[in-house]
Amino acid sequence: MTVRITRQGKNALAVESPVMNAAGTLGFGDEYRDLIDLSTLGAFVTNPMTYTNWNPATGTRVVPLEAGVMLHTGLPNPGVNQVIHERRATWERLPIPVIAHVVVNNVEEVYKCIASLEREEIIAAIELGLSDEISAAETQWYLRSAVERTEKPILARMPFGANPDLYSAAIDAGVGALVVCAPPRGTARDLSGKLVAGRVYGPTIKPIVLRMVGQLARRYPRIPIIGAGGIHSPQDARDYLEAGAVAVQVDSVTWVAPKLLEDIARDLGGLEQTQPNSAFDSLFGDGSS
Amino acid sequence: MKETQALIERVRRISDTHQQLHVTVDASLAAIKPGQSVLARVGEGWTPYLREHWWPVGQQKNTLIFERPGDIHYEPGTVISLIGAIGQPFRFRRTLRSVLLIAYCTDPAPLLMTIPALLANKVSVTLLLLGTEYDTHHLPPEVEVLQGEISDGATPADRLNWPNRVTTIGWADQVFIAVAQENELDSFREMWALFSALRADIPTSYLFGVFRPLLPCGVGACSACMVRLKGTDTQLMCTDGPAIDLSKVTLT
Repeated sequence: MTVRITRQGKNALAVESPVMNAAGTLGFGDEYRDLIDLSTLGAFVTNPMTYTNWNPATGTRVVPLEAGVMLHTGLPNPGVNQVIHERRATWERLPIPVIAHVVVNNVEEVYKCIASLEREEIIAAIELGLSDEISAAETQWYLRSAVERTEKPILARMPFGANPDLYSAAIDAGVGALVVCAPPRGTARDLSGKLVAGRVYGPTIKPIVLRMVGQLARRYPRIPIIGAGGIHSPQDARDYLEAGAVAVQVDSVTWVAPKLLEDIARDLGGLEQTQPNSAFDSLFGDGSS
Repeated sequence: MKETQALIERVRRISDTHQQLHVTVDASLAAIKPGQSVLARVGEGWTPYLREHWWPVGQQKNTLIFERPGDIHYEPGTVISLIGAIGQPFRFRRTLRSVLLIAYCTDPAPLLMTIPALLANKVSVTLLLLGTEYDTHHLPPEVEVLQGEISDGATPADRLNWPNRVTTIGWADQVFIAVAQENELDSFREMWALFSALRADIPTSYLFGVFRPLLPCGVGACSACMVRLKGTDTQLMCTDGPAIDLSKVTLT
């Protein structure tokens, strides 16, 4: 069954399964080729790309948590043009659409990254990762700049805990879908006892993001929402669809139990939720409950 | 690289601090080489969350022997999930006569699987334990074991002291060092400084760091184990490592 995961339009993106990986989990291409049958997924989302080369973070990168992990990699990548050069052939061999995840620091980088990706036929959509500190004005500016410069659908990956202005700004900018959301940032002690910061992954994230998705699906019924956060079972993914998401992105469980991503995709194959389940309405109020 | 099921056949205590697990593995893992490892998941829950990084210390047909801390309970008959083989085998020189293995503030498990193959090829093996206590009575008697100062009052400088330091380092054709995970780069920098002080020069392909950062994915996807080399290059410890020539690594 085909699922449309972006707004209706000439270049709307439709996929065969509502399940895909989250940016940063499956690499830039076929790193998981021996462990996961990628054809079961609806799309492949690349690791984050930046306009220029980014080096790996110094210091602690990984902090094990109770039922989770905190990660700070620095988003190392050789720059969008180099990634395209190195990975184009791999992407062309993938049996599913490729969504390029891009992180930008300013609007100039939006122009340049979009220009590079627009030329690549193999890229089906572009997901823009918005920083945690971004303002509503910047959100609208960056996303509108992206939307105006490409025929490809733009997905906005929203920061965790973004305020309603940010969502309105993204929707007004004309994005094809909202990805809700980036993993939250946290602080924890590493193995040497030092306090470090990073993004937090694990099953406990899911109830929080599920509520956000439910609220947003009711507030903005016309914009497709892709739920992302803490999915660790087929039921977790189904919950997102029932809350009103059109699709889901699975993150860290892929590292721990790669086959589970495939299981989730197979379980949800053909399952489509076009309207939020009304049984959930009372659960996704605006905070009164 | 495969995700496979394995069976803990036997649990054998080898010292007060360590035990060995004899694990029957898939044929793809039975061909694992010294330097390679697996990511293990024991049980179905999410704690611990990340897979544990297990280093085989021995191999018998379809059985791998892993050394694990003695305070963790393992039950024979338990089915576990393994992803592997992780990483590249250690690359030894063809004309190797003497190898120095150093465990600095950690147990030497990542280095031990090399020993039978090296001894079989008539390479002399010295195991140097610095800042760590490890019972070596189960190792082959041909292995020379040296111990740095580990008394309660030992200073950091004492920990890097052992008899005949210059000779030990001078005789070795290649050196492989494992350090504690929590301060990996700092520890490798300390070892580099030590070797720089004790040798006139450190040639390439001589001093190798055995990197073993926490690995979320183990396949090169998450970038958490990326190490910067001198210049602009990088390497992923899960796919390119674990042994990296320290003369090529940016240790700051």
